[in-house]
Amino acid sequence: MAKIDLSNISHSYNPNDPNPVFALNPFSMTWENGNRYAILGPSGCGKTTMLNIVSGLVRPSAGRILFDNKDVTDLKTEDRNIAQVFQFPVIYNTMTVYENLAFPLKCRDFSKSKTDERVNSVAETLNLKSFLNSPARKLTADQKQLISLGRGLVREDVAAVLMDEPLTVIDPDLKFRLRRNLKEINEQYKTTLVYVTHDQNEAMTFADNIIVMSEGEVVQAGSPKELFERPNTTFVGYFIGSPAMNLFESEASSNDSVKINNTLIKTNTNLSNLKNKNIKLGIRSEFIKIAQNQNENLVEVNVEKVEDLGNYKLITAKMGNFIIKSKVTRETEIPTQNIKLHIPAEKCCVYEDNKLI
Amino acid sequence: MNKLYIFLKYFFIVVWTVFVVAPFLWALTTSFKDFQSVNGGVTYIPWVDFEPNLEGWKVLVKSPAKGGVDIIEPYFNSMFVTCTASLISIILGTLSAYALSRYTFKAGFVKNNDITFFFISQRIMPPIVLSIPFFLFLSSINLLDSLTGLIVVYIVLLMPIAVWIMVDFFNKVPREIDETALIDGCNPYQAFLKVVLPNSIPGLIVAGMFCIIFGWIDFFFAFILTFTEVQLLPVKIVALNSSVTPWWSLSASALVSVAPLIIVAFIVERYLSKGNLSGAIK
Repeated sequence: MAKIDLSNISHSYNPNDPNPVFALNPFSMTWENGNRYAILGPSGCGKTTMLNIVSGLVRPSAGRILFDNKDVTDLKTEDRNIAQVFQFPVIYNTMTVYENLAFPLKCRDFSKSKTDERVNSVAETLNLKSFLNSPARKLTADQKQLISLGRGLVREDVAAVLMDEPLTVIDPDLKFRLRRNLKEINEQYKTTLVYVTHDQNEAMTFADNIIVMSEGEVVQAGSPKELFERPNTTFVGYFIGSPAMNLFESEASSNDSVKINNTLIKTNTNLSNLKNKNIKLGIRSEFIKIAQNQNENLVEVNVEKVEDLGNYKLITAKMGNFIIKSKVTRETEIPTQNIKLHIPAEKCCVYEDNKLI
Repeated sequence: MNKLYIFLKYFFIVVWTVFVVAPFLWALTTSFKDFQSVNGGVTYIPWVDFEPNLEGWKVLVKSPAKGGVDIIEPYFNSMFVTCTASLISIILGTLSAYALSRYTFKAGFVKNNDITFFFISQRIMPPIVLSIPFFLFLSSINLLDSLTGLIVVYIVLLMPIAVWIMVDFFNKVPREIDETALIDGCNPYQAFLKVVLPNSIPGLIVAGMFCIIFGWIDFFFAFILTFTEVQLLPVKIVALNSSVTPWWSLSASALVSVAPLIIVAFIVERYLSKGNLSGAIK
């Protein structure tokens, strides 16, 4: 277990080229001991590169990695004491489940009794106890993935367990159970877990810290609540949340209000230092409600369709040329013609050049 | 339609079986015939068409002094050369294949695929092209007409097969296996020996099978590079031929010479039926 510092890390797969293409733009970050982190982003955004840099499979073109303030940048993978779980279960086909779980300890010359104790304890947590003596290749895909995970947990002093989309191959209902399992393991063993995913639901339910990446750049790092309510960029607003954040091209009209289609919307953002007038207003559909008795921040819209999605209703409406989406409770009666929606000022995010002001 | 399909299916199976089995049966009966039953018109069934005798077989083990040909020594020579060369080829081939599959090499415009192709290209050349260089090479190091010399040449011939099969096989073993082993604390050598290699046993068996087959059946180089001191089985069998072709002992020796390959085929077939090899051959 360790605190992991990534300081000014960047990586390019062609560093000697005069115009190197960066898979990972320079960034710095600290992962505290015992926390759960999720790295979230679309495919090809540099998530796996970041993970491989931490585990040592890839050496960064620049920057240092520190485990508990000790520089490990030049240390080989096998000397870093890190665990990594890949997208597809990687097990040692020729060994039994027990041998698979014991392998990391065997490589590190643990005593037989210590190995026994650790393997049994981990097998207990992962419900693999009854399979210990079966050949690992006979197990189902999700059990194999548990073995991969177990190999990470079997070392008590492991610096962190890195997971690269570990639940891709697993059935949805089992996914849910495993995610809960992972949380329990994190609480029980106080292991730092780093979880790479492109599925925001997975990230939101699993992690207490989410790092959002896009095109090799760390766009925002923060708690799920922060990412949801105050996305740093329009990309985060768009990528996180279902449906995506409502974004409207708008114009600043005073120090704290913007104009969309001639409707004035008051915000809590100070707009006096804007460089250009063309900005975007972002608001989560969760915060938009049908107007009751408010008298400002109202927009008149044409309801296009209403979807009943089980635990909520999703209104899709048209406001001029903009589409606006609003999530309301199932009980809400929705008039079919024109309605007024209320946009709360404190939930409005204003973006200049796609960055939060 | 369906019936026609079944009929055709079995028809072809039967034709193919006859095609494969008939020569063996023919050699088997011929090996028990004598001069009269071979040259005096066609005979098929023992005890009915002809009286079987063991003369053809006895000749194979009798020493030349007593009029025999004694294939026992060439037989063991062949086995020794084939097994040693195959073993060394598999070891060297597996190591090279692993390197070619996992690491990137570059020397000018030559890259991994070119190196792999270079190995295979050794088998694309007609063997006759290699005969003179090999002859001169062996004579310069005084290894003509020796088992060691033959082993050296066979390694050159067999290693491309091992490299070819194993590169393909290692490419199909996910890199994550190696990476996981490194993460679990192995050094690269342990990762290869403890994790990758045990996972590659099916590939090793296929490669080994091919090496043994190609080593065992080689006549050309054994014929060119040996004279009197050392003889391999294929050469000895050909040498059986004389002014009067001894069909009976030729047949017997042919059967004896395919026997080891049949045993190898049975062993490998057991792995095949377990499904262990399906991935290795596809």
